Amino acid sequence: MGLIKADEMTLNIGPQHPSTHGVLRLKVKTDGEIVSEITPVIGYLHRCFEKHCEYLTYEQVIPFTDRCDYIAAMNNNFGYVVAVEKMMDIQVPERVEYIRIIMAELNRIASHLLALGTFGLDVGAYTPFLYMFRDRERILDLFEITCGARLLYNYMWIGGVSHDLPVGFVEATYRFLDEFEKKSEEYHNILSYNKIFIERTADVGVLPKDVAIDYGVTGPNLRGSGVKWDLRKDEPYSIYEKFKFEVPVGQGLMGSVGDSWDRYWVRAEEMKESVKIVRQALDKMPRKGDVHEALPKRVRPPQGSIYFRTESPRGDLGYYIISDGKDKPVRVKMRSPAFTALSALSEIASGWMLSDVLVVLGSLDIVLGEIDR
Amino acid sequence: MREYFKNIWQTVKTLLTGMGITIKHLFKIRKGNVTLQYPEEKWPRPDRNIGFEPANYNLIRSKLHVDIEDCIGCRKCERACPVQCIKIDTIKVPKGTDLGSTSNGTLKRLLVPRFDIDMTECMYCNLCVYPCPEDCIYMTGGPNSEKQPLDYEYAQYDRDKLIYKFATLTKKEIKKYTTPPKQQELI
Repeated sequence: MGLIKADEMTLNIGPQHPSTHGVLRLKVKTDGEIVSEITPVIGYLHRCFEKHCEYLTYEQVIPFTDRCDYIAAMNNNFGYVVAVEKMMDIQVPERVEYIRIIMAELNRIASHLLALGTFGLDVGAYTPFLYMFRDRERILDLFEITCGARLLYNYMWIGGVSHDLPVGFVEATYRFLDEFEKKSEEYHNILSYNKIFIERTADVGVLPKDVAIDYGVTGPNLRGSGVKWDLRKDEPYSIYEKFKFEVPVGQGLMGSVGDSWDRYWVRAEEMKESVKIVRQALDKMPRKGDVHEALPKRVRPPQGSIYFRTESPRGDLGYYIISDGKDKPVRVKMRSPAFTALSALSEIASGWMLSDVLVVLGSLDIVLGEIDR
Repeated sequence: MREYFKNIWQTVKTLLTGMGITIKHLFKIRKGNVTLQYPEEKWPRPDRNIGFEPANYNLIRSKLHVDIEDCIGCRKCERACPVQCIKIDTIKVPKGTDLGSTSNGTLKRLLVPRFDIDMTECMYCNLCVYPCPEDCIYMTGGPNSEKQPLDYEYAQYDRDKLIYKFATLTKKEIKKYTTPPKQQELI
């Protein structure tokens, strides 16, 4: 293969392509079917998040954070809201903390279900995708009865949440968790341990530990490479230190540590841990309490700045907020985990076949809304 | 050689496992049906927040509606909107003009000749609903469903028709209210 040097061809994948998970364009240099260089071109979904924030009050920014990572909007709300609360030194009621954790973890399950389903779709498994969407639908229904919206919630407010839990939410969630635990075994049988799936993903796109850290890759992608780093455990925010859960890391069960299968597997295991957290939170949650108790009359954080990060389903989601003491932030900068994951794509997917590039891209679980903002 | 047959065996085995799950779902289709034939059947609406203290929780994100008789023109919703899809004009009336009061008993002091909501721009964040002191702007359905039934399928052929104009004041009425009472007697 090395002797025959054919002409290199530049190939465009996207911006409109079902395997790019959004409007992403990949400039791919190919030699036959072997890819030698990948240049992601981003910005097709740029909506001026940071510029918008200069003109909006602190409360009005929350719906825009929804729209950054639209798959896991609750987690995006969470990071922003806690950052502003830290600035203003607000203590939120215990019930609110528990509700937030429940919502964030349910949204994490929903996000991972979508990630795994579409990843299966990328390698040609259609059935698991349908099953996972069916279960994700149940979570969205839970969100719908709570706050009325299915995808873009605007649920978490500075100092509270917009609505209390509806009657029957706790029971419905318990029921969902019971059924979901059985189903997650089903996913493993139908997809994870399927030989064709393993052949397509194991040893493909290996992301070594040091490269992952160099690129600033976080979240399940980093844990897939065998680094045990989870902000919920290592830098607990909100009330995460009260819960018992494991941090799954990639062990290279099917190939080498840090391959696409490991990243997939970490997400599948993380869903089980999220189920554990939701269960504990439902058990311990105070049953009564006003969720609007700590809402500030005026959201005007004192002069200064804050950088606060949380663990979103995609990794470290950081918010850098500068305040000048008025009702509008001077600047809100978002550190997006999907952006760093995408930047590592060229490093790990070069040298593979074109169809493997899409597998690696799918395993990184990027959301273009968050990358372009 | 052994590896070769082992691989084939594993492929067949895992494929059959997957097939088994799929077949199980095939025969369960009636019991756990998840697809609805949408225009004919619709999802049942969940009972929202029945029995909770704050009764004015509005738990659905659908079309915005304004009870214009209750609007006092305070413009709080306009300011709360992050995308400026609500546009309100108000006119001051001379002292002593009786504009009536809202259903909460607040005296109206301003005329509202224009109250437009551009539903093509609305992002359903619900932020305009909370600041309203008269609870007159809300999303249809929810606890207000007696006043305004749920409407989330408001498709239109023309985009302009999605700009909802809630103000009902006619030019004649505006003139009547804005002329000072003394002149009115003369007329």
